[in-house]
Amino acid sequence: MDEHCGRDIVSRWPDNPLITIEDIPFRCSDVWNAGVVRYGGEYLLLITIEHLQGFTEVHLARSRDGRHFMVEPTPFMTATLTGPLSTYQNLGVRDPRVTPLDGTFYITYIADSDLGMRIGLARTDTFAHLEWMALAGEPDTKSGALFPEKIHGRYALLERPNPGMSIWISYSDDLVYWGGSEVVMTPRGGYWDADRIGAAAPPIRVEQGWLLIYYGEKHTSAGPLMRLGAAILDAEDPARVLARSNIPILSPRENYERIGDVPNMVFSCGAVLEDDGEMKIYYGGSDSCICLGTAGLDDIITVCAQSEREF
Amino acid sequence: MSCPRGRDLLHRWERNPIISVRDVPFRCNTVFNGTPVHLDGEYYIILRVEGQQGYSFFALARSRDGLHFEVDDRPCMMPADSGPFELWEENGIEDPRLTLVEGTYYVMYTAVCRYGHRIALAKTEDFSHYERIALVSGPGNKDGVLFPEKIDGLYARLDRPYGKEIGSIWISYSPDLINWGMSEMVFSPRARYWDSYRIGASAPPILTRRGWLEIYHGVKMTSAGPIYRIGTAMLDRDDPAKVLGRCLSPVLSPREEYERIGDVGNVVFACGAIVEDDGEVKVYYGAADTAICVAIGTLDEIIESCFENNG
Repeated sequence: MDEHCGRDIVSRWPDNPLITIEDIPFRCSDVWNAGVVRYGGEYLLLITIEHLQGFTEVHLARSRDGRHFMVEPTPFMTATLTGPLSTYQNLGVRDPRVTPLDGTFYITYIADSDLGMRIGLARTDTFAHLEWMALAGEPDTKSGALFPEKIHGRYALLERPNPGMSIWISYSDDLVYWGGSEVVMTPRGGYWDADRIGAAAPPIRVEQGWLLIYYGEKHTSAGPLMRLGAAILDAEDPARVLARSNIPILSPRENYERIGDVPNMVFSCGAVLEDDGEMKIYYGGSDSCICLGTAGLDDIITVCAQSEREF
Repeated sequence: MSCPRGRDLLHRWERNPIISVRDVPFRCNTVFNGTPVHLDGEYYIILRVEGQQGYSFFALARSRDGLHFEVDDRPCMMPADSGPFELWEENGIEDPRLTLVEGTYYVMYTAVCRYGHRIALAKTEDFSHYERIALVSGPGNKDGVLFPEKIDGLYARLDRPYGKEIGSIWISYSPDLINWGMSEMVFSPRARYWDSYRIGASAPPILTRRGWLEIYHGVKMTSAGPIYRIGTAMLDRDDPAKVLGRCLSPVLSPREEYERIGDVGNVVFACGAIVEDDGEVKVYYGAADTAICVAIGTLDEIIESCFENNG
């Protein structure tokens, strides 16, 4: 990969960005954060599109190689302007995260309305049809990421309630009623993730536990600086953080990460772990494009573990 | 009893406040926001007491007539100093609300910690000893009141999450009092009115011939700070997310010196009410976050207030 991109643990794909509004088959304002899944021999991105009117919907983009994507013209997840869900997602749906579990694909997303943000839950078997399921929690909370396995027989969900700007975990028997909420990780004063954190990709099971790619924000006088980091959570009790990277694994540096509607931002909603141990992390740049970064799984785990030893 | 009608629908007892710091047999800063119960000829109020250190805890007051109270020598419930509740109650426990459901007395209260406010649930048999059950919300939520009956086989509560800085009253349901979901917004602040800034449930809902009577608090923001008043709403018996009626004017506003002057002036804030057999309603409320008062109305008048149409 491109040499000058080597300052971060994650290497950028040289042809970044993968998707910009030029690749969308209709006029729109922005293209944002995408969830990702491998399904049916394809890479599927669930990309957030902000319409010119200002609300957001989710479209599918398909690819054979994980790099060259075709965006579908009709939305896969629509903003809900009528019906019972309209109260809670009339401003749009966005930031979908895909979790394979129970032989289906669950999608956690932000349901945005005048009343605040909640975590929505939907499912699909084939990505042809979407079933809205339930809204989890009360506002404001976002960055919902479902674990791909049950923990002690219960569904587990990471989320980021606004108070405290920390990552929490909640549990459920049925994906409808949630409880047992506790804090997993908090922002760290003085660090790159000093002011706000949240789950980025849904947790990935690795030998050491659960690998969590998360986003961290530091406030600057010019606004937020949003980066990606990594942590390892205990396999049996994911509220326990075993290791956490002291340094980000990806920081905004390239123009497409620095310049856009929300500048200085890299923000991920999904990653794919390939059989050879390569992680493909799909991320939004400046809330204006979709990019790809890659890293060896071992490198990310090492950075979590070594960071821990620096203390 | 002498209850001269004032300018408000509820009239104050002439010897308000009924409990102030002077009546508490241990040193403390203030006593306010107490939740009452009338059982076997005895009245009890679980009081929120703010200690001199600055955090709140609960103490029990007892009375034969509901007007003259004696406060127990020692607090009845302190923030947990060990175990799973310790972290969440590190900054105190506040605003208890007592509800009898299927023969058990439950106290919903606010647990305060570094991450914000959460709703917690405990139960009691004698009002002196409490068994904690669970934290039942994420952070950024308070004013939880449990319904005294199940709705469609589920426990139900009103609460006050804080989406987009809007303090609305929501409802959530639970099969087991531990896991909660199916949350819906019930009613919101009203522009132009006395409750334009923020609202929250105050007394646990009271079942009446017209539905669930909710005595709630409404806030208007002024340049000098908030004004807390007490209002009424009627919720559908079978679907309490449906508002059948809502007062246009408050039923009680801060007017007396003990409501205007105190640690938080211009506050009347109820945490419970008792309906007597003759239809008299005693609303117990905190005044200026400094004392406990009682205001009295008739159930019929209070029900009517929900359906008034001449603001």
